[in-house]
Amino acid sequence: MAIFVDNKTRILVQGITGTQASFHVKKSMDYGTKIVAGVTPRKGGEQHLGVPIFNTVKEAVESTKATVSLMFVPARQVLSAVMEGVEAELETMVCITEHVPVRDMLEIKAVLRGSKTKLIGPNTPGIITPGQARLGVFPINIHKPGRIGVVSRSSTLTYAAVIETTLAGLGQSTVVGLGDDMMVGTDFIDVLKAFHEDKNTDVIVMVGKIGGQFEEVAAEYYKTIPNKKPIVAFVAGSAVPFGHDMGYAGELVSYGQHTVQDKIDVMRKAGIIVMDNSNDIHKELQKIISKC
Amino acid sequence: MKIHEYQAKQLIKQYGIKIPAGKVAYTPLEAKKVAVEVSKRGPWMLKAQIQSGARNKGRFLEKSAGRGTGIRYVTSRREIAKEAEEMLRHTLVTSQTGPKGRIVTRLYVEEFCKVNKIFYTGLVIDRISAVMTLLIANLEKTDILTIAAKTPNKILHVPLDTHKGITAKQVREVGAFIGISERHLPNLRKYLRGIFKAFVETDATMLEINPAGITARGDIIALDIKLTVDDQALFRQPEIVPLFDECEFEKRELIAFKNGFQYNSFDGSVGCIVNGEGIALGLMDLIKSKGGSTACFLNLKGGVDQDKVASGIRLIMTNPRVEGILIVIIGGFLRCNLVAEGILSVASEVGLNVPVVVRFEGTNKYEGESILKNARYPITITQDVEEGVSELLQAMEDNN
Repeated sequence: MAIFVDNKTRILVQGITGTQASFHVKKSMDYGTKIVAGVTPRKGGEQHLGVPIFNTVKEAVESTKATVSLMFVPARQVLSAVMEGVEAELETMVCITEHVPVRDMLEIKAVLRGSKTKLIGPNTPGIITPGQARLGVFPINIHKPGRIGVVSRSSTLTYAAVIETTLAGLGQSTVVGLGDDMMVGTDFIDVLKAFHEDKNTDVIVMVGKIGGQFEEVAAEYYKTIPNKKPIVAFVAGSAVPFGHDMGYAGELVSYGQHTVQDKIDVMRKAGIIVMDNSNDIHKELQKIISKC
Repeated sequence: MKIHEYQAKQLIKQYGIKIPAGKVAYTPLEAKKVAVEVSKRGPWMLKAQIQSGARNKGRFLEKSAGRGTGIRYVTSRREIAKEAEEMLRHTLVTSQTGPKGRIVTRLYVEEFCKVNKIFYTGLVIDRISAVMTLLIANLEKTDILTIAAKTPNKILHVPLDTHKGITAKQVREVGAFIGISERHLPNLRKYLRGIFKAFVETDATMLEINPAGITARGDIIALDIKLTVDDQALFRQPEIVPLFDECEFEKRELIAFKNGFQYNSFDGSVGCIVNGEGIALGLMDLIKSKGGSTACFLNLKGGVDQDKVASGIRLIMTNPRVEGILIVIIGGFLRCNLVAEGILSVASEVGLNVPVVVRFEGTNKYEGESILKNARYPITITQDVEEGVSELLQAMEDNN
């Protein structure tokens, strides 16, 4: 058990024939990830990395029974690629692509509402269930199977959080990168919910950052969970001078003056253990595990 | 990407929004000349074109710029050249430009427009609910920043459907909120639908009309506007791309931007090279907690082009304020060996006299480390960022 993906999940890759996609998909296959198909328009019928290529997601799903998609398509094609996946009723789509236009993301969010599909990303390192499935661009040598769930709003700090669990002598159940953008398909709530339902996750590490109100919303949600699993968190950006790169009244009007400290206060009130220093996460994890 | 007020005004004019007559001037003489073209007898508004808000509260650094702000009300033609002389080529500092301010290279000369009432209009994207939102506030008594900070409940939030746009019901709701009479509602409808269309079609992430004015005849006029266009959507905005103004950026910022990197500068002494904004934020926090301070950070993101990576590293290594360099790369897309090669190639070109601490992890970590180990520069490889930061700060102190 893990969340979202494991070694039985049948995965198709949209945009599999690109250079970066090929490099990382090959690594994922070597890792044991069950990649069963690729989708590249006009290349249907060909083979790439040993799997069949289809012109559309629908064809790939019909032939291979894939339920999850890993996306390496160019930014301007992400909207149509997501719409294809939603139509084919994929369970999960993981979008690695960065630079997706904001207006396209608005459309994507509208398409996802009321659909069966959840989108992770865009601009995410992906999802990895160590020892079972790697969907994305995660470095491989830092992960190992274990019982800590990791969820992060910052790609590179995801890796840092994983290294912290390793330092604590622990491994990860699943690691989810939500994506670095200000608007992403899935936020903390869905992932926290899944980790709480997962029998193989004991503790959750959560990494937030300055900007938006995702952490505050997640904290409110956490309050409502009856059987809480401990969350050890870190929020990056407290050294950034307030107001940096914030020239517009609209920014303030719509999002309010939320500093990192405000976020941390709300999270602590909800019972989340927030570390002042990301390098102390492993110590806190050891403390929690020794009590179990 | 931000664009200037005069450019944004020309843009929304195409969407049926009324704006005061106005023209751009680059010299005092030109300002005097275009003033008559926009209004025969005045009065006029002279507006410094820098991409910042709060220009009407800004101050010029130079004494020769007089005591006026970045927005000036002028009643006689003779004064126009004098005021323009004071503003042009001088440095305007506002609450949003930082202490260095921006040099004013052009003015927008506008007819003064008499209005009975002013209000704020903003179109933004609510990131949590992922919907476009229209913000409206009355500005009779105070400005929008004060309202946002003190009485945020006095701002009307209207969520919009990207496909439907602004409905008749929403127009009435806004009309009642601002206090617009029934017979002027068609003007309001035209105004709101115009800005909505402009927002969508220009791939804007923020459009602010602050303020809009209502004339005695009931016309709604955009008196000031700010427009930010989504950088990620510039590929489909060929008319907006040429409006990019290099004067608005620091040289280093510009080079980083052109190579697809992110560069931010602060007032400390440690230069950071990272891949990922999160790492940058985390490092800044860590440096601060150890008593140091950050001079700048460069985020190489997922860069894979060797020359570009080297040009990014050059920005940090040649920054005179940098007394020590911290490099933290957790390779995913970006491979550690590429960064190591970049460091050495820039060092051989411009020299390397400040201490450098490097932490590599992830893709091609060992290749990267072995490249640096064999080099003859003051480079320390660490396996622990916290120790690395302490070590770097110590080495910087020893150097002083």
